[in-house]
Amino acid sequence: MPRVFVLIPSTSYRAKAFLHAGTSASIDITVASDRRNTLASFNPAGLIDLPYDDAKEAIRLVREFASHHLLDGVIGVDDEGVVLAHQIAAALQLRHNPVKSVAATRNKFAMRTFLHQAGVSQPDFYMIESGNRREAPAFGFPCVVKPLSLSGSRGVIRVDNEAEFAYACERVIGIVQKERQSCVQECVLTESFIDGEEVALEGVLAEGELHVFALFDKPDPLDGPFFEETIYVTPSRHSQKRQSEIIACVKDGVAALGLRRGPVHAEVRFNDSGVFLIEIAARSIGGFCSKVLRFSDGQKEVSLEELLLRDAIGEDVRSFSRERSAAGVMMLPIRKAGILSSVSGVEVAREVKGVEEIIITVHSGKEMIPLPEGGTYPGFIFGRAETPQEVETALRSAHKHIIFETEEITTEA
Amino acid sequence: MTEEIKIQAQILTNEVCQFTVDRPILPKRSAFFSQKEDAKGSPLPEALFAIDNVVAVLISGSVVKVTKTNDEQWMPIAKQIGAAIRKQIQSGQPLVAEEDVRRSASEIDLRKKVETILNNEINPLIAQHGGVVSLIDVRGADLYLQLGGGCQGCGMADVTLRQGIEASIRRALPEVEEVLDVTDHAAGTNPFYSPTKK
Repeated sequence: MPRVFVLIPSTSYRAKAFLHAGTSASIDITVASDRRNTLASFNPAGLIDLPYDDAKEAIRLVREFASHHLLDGVIGVDDEGVVLAHQIAAALQLRHNPVKSVAATRNKFAMRTFLHQAGVSQPDFYMIESGNRREAPAFGFPCVVKPLSLSGSRGVIRVDNEAEFAYACERVIGIVQKERQSCVQECVLTESFIDGEEVALEGVLAEGELHVFALFDKPDPLDGPFFEETIYVTPSRHSQKRQSEIIACVKDGVAALGLRRGPVHAEVRFNDSGVFLIEIAARSIGGFCSKVLRFSDGQKEVSLEELLLRDAIGEDVRSFSRERSAAGVMMLPIRKAGILSSVSGVEVAREVKGVEEIIITVHSGKEMIPLPEGGTYPGFIFGRAETPQEVETALRSAHKHIIFETEEITTEA
Repeated sequence: MTEEIKIQAQILTNEVCQFTVDRPILPKRSAFFSQKEDAKGSPLPEALFAIDNVVAVLISGSVVKVTKTNDEQWMPIAKQIGAAIRKQIQSGQPLVAEEDVRRSASEIDLRKKVETILNNEINPLIAQHGGVVSLIDVRGADLYLQLGGGCQGCGMADVTLRQGIEASIRRALPEVEEVLDVTDHAAGTNPFYSPTKK
């Protein structure tokens, strides 16, 4: 059987989906995680730990591994391992993107610079270098400040005036320092705020050609001050013309970055002035969201993860298309910070017509931290129905039933 | 006068109590019932499942192991179990249907082998991350496993189960078919690795 080396960080939601996909596709999986699994010695072909922050050592370990086990492909599942995955694939002469292209997707300033040089439609931007004065943007307000590398809207803040600007920059720096457990001054990216609607595109590249798996509408406005994702619904209800413009914009971005193969996840905004590329990642959609996507080539129904595994070993997956049903996911927002004491209403929410599954991921006693500091969703609602409107209605109805009870965190003054 | 039947109860855990009877009730054979529905047609386990909070029954030789829910005290339940065993023995009827004994023989054997692997090889290692795995049931050649402690709700639980535990069991016991995870991961309170949205 072919074998794919899958970099799955220990904080990923997606291990189960990839392992299941491997069984379905008859592809052996080697899970390469950032932490040692205590059972690694029982299955050296299936479990390995790599230092994600030391590419040289990681490549050495994988070369050693590959001397005993034939590898056919490498996938970086989440942001943490995506650059290393391409470095490893390059070292083993397996299918990969140029490493500098993937690295650019992990640094928002580098990505903006690549896109700017190629004339891709995107927000205006500039970077406040570490330690420099927090100068208000020349393109005015509102603007958005964000860290260079965090994902999932963490640390992304809309700023409407000069008075808020320096405070927001400090807040972003604090979030990054806490994440890195370091006091080093961090750079902050400032972008013009693009008013309008946002969509997400999921696709795969084959020799630089983009094959779109799904275009998700995001029906909840993302106007700030923080940018919490909630509902994704596919297929898109926007006009064919608008969808074509969105896809064309992503194609421009992909070409500008030099991405050639593998999964692509992009965020795009549009308004009366045009279409603007917000972000491209050289990975697939994160969290549990891929569960809404089902594909078929007319013979077999497969998951997104199975398509990615097949793509990684060189199969042409463009014959697969998404199912006819509309589908969607709601990432449950954290409205209030605190320690989770209980979750109620889930069983009632599961009974809502059009709701397929609800997953609560937060555990009692854990701290719930909203954006921009927070990094997790407490749960996901999945819906499937005839139309996107029915899916959206189902997700919203189900959400109304689910209540997260929290206890406030207090400290002595 | 009816001969006195002596039964010694030994509480093994808060959930499991072992009843040793002074005579064989299923000589050199075993039968395991993981739910009430499985016991239909077998008088002794049927009678035991009729007692509140009993969730599983293992009968082997002269021993009856009963599993109950966690919340209740053993003393009153143990008395009811003892009375039920005595009554069924005194009835003079077969205590377990023959088909249940046949079905369970290979399951009991498989259960012992799997438990040996879990106890001797797997659990000492995953305990390093505060985890534990328990064999909940064996149906045919299918295993029902439950992860607990640091494994419950852990982002790497599936990797540990499929690439570690399952791979290890299959290597030693190729006759195993499905390995199913019956853990309620949402109920875990202290996962070793907490998944994030990245």
